[in-house]
Amino acid sequence: MDLLNRLASLDPDIKLKALREVKNQIIGNRTKKLAFLKLGAIPAVASLLAAAIAEADSQLKNGEVTIADKNSNYYNNNTFIQSAAVLGSFACGFDDGVRAVLDAGALPYLIQLLSNPDEKVVDAGARSLRMIYQSKLTPKYEILQDKKMEFLLSLLNSESENVTGLGASIITHSCETSLEQKSLSDAGVLKKLLGLLEGSFSQRDASLESLAALFRNNPEVVSKFVGQESGSALSSIIGLTKDRYPRTRLLACMCLIVIRNSSPFYLQDVGIKTKLLYLSLELLDDPGEVGDEAPFVFSSLIMEKEDLQKLAFEANALEKFSNHLQNSRLHPKRLQGILLALADICSKLESCRYRFLSLEVWNMVTNALTHDSAGVRTAACICIRSVTRSIKNLCAGYFMNEVLVIPLVQLLNDSLVSVQVAALGAISNILVDFTTGKSTFVQCGALKQLIQLSKSMESTVRLNALWALKNMVFLADDRCKEGIFMELTASLLASLICDHNPFVQEQALALVRNLIDGCISSVEYVFTENGIILDAVRKQLESTSKAEIGIQGMYVLGNVASGNEFHKEAVMQQLLPQVDNENQSFIIKFLQSNDSRLRTAAVWAIVNLTFPSSPGAFRRLIKLRSLGIVPEIRNMVNDPCLDVKLRVRTVLGQAVIFGDGLT
Amino acid sequence: MPVRVVETSAPTQISGAHSGQISPPFCTLLSVGQAFSGTQNVSSLQKDEAWRVNVRIQGCDLEHGYLCGTMEALNVPMADTPVVTFWEGEIVDGKNYSFFTGKWEASSEDDIRHWTKFPSFSPFLCQVEVDGGKSLDLSNYPYIFMRWKEQYFVNVGTDCGLTIAGFYYVCFSCTDGSISGFYYDPNSSPFQKLELKSTNEGRSGFSFSSYELQ
Repeated sequence: MDLLNRLASLDPDIKLKALREVKNQIIGNRTKKLAFLKLGAIPAVASLLAAAIAEADSQLKNGEVTIADKNSNYYNNNTFIQSAAVLGSFACGFDDGVRAVLDAGALPYLIQLLSNPDEKVVDAGARSLRMIYQSKLTPKYEILQDKKMEFLLSLLNSESENVTGLGASIITHSCETSLEQKSLSDAGVLKKLLGLLEGSFSQRDASLESLAALFRNNPEVVSKFVGQESGSALSSIIGLTKDRYPRTRLLACMCLIVIRNSSPFYLQDVGIKTKLLYLSLELLDDPGEVGDEAPFVFSSLIMEKEDLQKLAFEANALEKFSNHLQNSRLHPKRLQGILLALADICSKLESCRYRFLSLEVWNMVTNALTHDSAGVRTAACICIRSVTRSIKNLCAGYFMNEVLVIPLVQLLNDSLVSVQVAALGAISNILVDFTTGKSTFVQCGALKQLIQLSKSMESTVRLNALWALKNMVFLADDRCKEGIFMELTASLLASLICDHNPFVQEQALALVRNLIDGCISSVEYVFTENGIILDAVRKQLESTSKAEIGIQGMYVLGNVASGNEFHKEAVMQQLLPQVDNENQSFIIKFLQSNDSRLRTAAVWAIVNLTFPSSPGAFRRLIKLRSLGIVPEIRNMVNDPCLDVKLRVRTVLGQAVIFGDGLT
Repeated sequence: MPVRVVETSAPTQISGAHSGQISPPFCTLLSVGQAFSGTQNVSSLQKDEAWRVNVRIQGCDLEHGYLCGTMEALNVPMADTPVVTFWEGEIVDGKNYSFFTGKWEASSEDDIRHWTKFPSFSPFLCQVEVDGGKSLDLSNYPYIFMRWKEQYFVNVGTDCGLTIAGFYYVCFSCTDGSISGFYYDPNSSPFQKLELKSTNEGRSGFSFSSYELQ
């Protein structure tokens, strides 16, 4: 408190000393930063900076420089330097600090310092701004707006290392769209950044990061860069993977991965893939920030790429990450990164999941479900989601145990939607259980929570809750289904089928499809509450243009049509055109669809309606012919999709049983 | 389906899937949740015998040529309850897997001897003798050839007196969903025939359910 009073002192010496003291106390000390932040130090320092700038401006306007002015100039410059350092330090790696610096309106003042004639002031301003532009909370620098590009280029052309570094940091922070990437590339920024790769280590690092921002998903910019310096530009980055500084190696590796992910023409050979893989794994051993970031770089290399996941498996990446996981004092960021890396390795290959489960670190993953950091909790859910794609282990009921399920179910109450959705993803997989585990899940009260979440205001939560319920209902026994239906109710299901989000509609229809599969009596579910579900299904099928909704809806009708005569007749009623001016059944458009899965689903419904052993099959066949459905099916006898073709032949074969009058 | 232990069996292997792009045959009758029932002939020189068998498809990953499910043997003489095993299947798609097994003690001669028992295999014999059928395009053929290998007992212990050391050569008809198979285990009676039909579980038609892993 005393220190804050001294910041407000009228004596410039006391003020400066107080600023220095704050700076020294908070550097690298998060606790102190937080303490000073709570005391209101940031607005106080920002005011000091603003006042010093105002005073310097007024001196400039007056023209004459007195001795008093020179003294004041000395104090002002030192105030600039010290307050910039304090504000930058508050913003460094500390989101609350960044927020407070921005709220205090310090950003424009710091930018003003860049025009100061004193190099030290410019340097201090640039250094501080670099810290601020490292945060995602800082507003985007609108590169394409008036004069902004000009200013950015002036920063990159500066002689000062910190100012060029700031220019690069702004690009890293704010270059997002392909238009921004192209404009910067056209303005000659690539050449400038390439030049910075030859500079100090700080310039190299800043350049590598901003190059990655320019390359991301932009093959044209990548090609333009690779063509620079007679084609040697790429080699400059590859060379930096051997740099003595681990951070430079990490950033070079990250930049090269961005290039190979953005353009199919560069860095695709096995040699470079292997090199990048081993380098990102090796950097994991760095005890500091580089090691914390390494798993994320590793993930960006192998994500969605089965060949690289196999390579990672062969490089014992699972063992390496698992060994790190056993360290109980991991920084949350590193723990999050490792869990996500493990998720990526196990995302496609069963061999990876099998090996991972044999490493006995599963309890480390389940412990992470209750971690303080939301990022870690989410990553743990994503890791579990990936590993639980193992059908073999699902069939063995391996994942349906309290150690895993209870903390996951608790996350359904998490305050963050992202955590809830991640937990639902893992639960969806675990619920594909072929043992008696589903009833265990119901008994622990989790079913009620899933149903509650299916009514969430967030459509992603509704979607994922329904997905989990759909998987739960798959091949569930009658008692389990009944329990679920009683809780869900026909009216809720009908309203979810008509949800405004088409992905929710699809999941709701798929849930109904599974609900009425199995024992024939389960078909009755769609007839409760005056057939409200069946009406909703027809409504969606009549109006949808989305194949996935058509597919699930047609399987609902097909499953109903595999029931008794009453069920089949009810489906026939749904197929009749309902609107007066509509003379064609919606099923015709599905039979004519370009999507073979939809054609298949539609033909199956007709197979069931005309199933020969059912008494009304003949009558229905006549009706289907009059509706133009049978003639449409006849046209599909040589459908390019084998599955459709065979089902069409089944229908025609069934028609033949009834004789000539039917075709 | 397990068979009686004749001699000490070799430990089972877990089948691996190889990467590759394929245009797999797809048939709704072979999709997850589908059920089949029939018999396996386990006759020996001593007596004629057939066990009733139920099969359920539980997992399918066509990209990797993978299929899995359970097999339930109903009237196994030495067991008190039906014996359920979990099996994993390799789909012969020319990319992930060829007609040659290359493991499980099956030579290419054993393979051809079994595959030729299926009439629908005959058009491929010449080519399979050359390269195992790797160059064949089976994506539009109305039969799907597979190998099913039981991996573990679901409801009984390994000391139940039964073995799952062998594997099945399987031919699935996309037209009607019927399945023919031959069990192969050098230590068991040869050519035990598996015959299954698609079941509609009391319905007048076909019903389909599905799950999706996230």
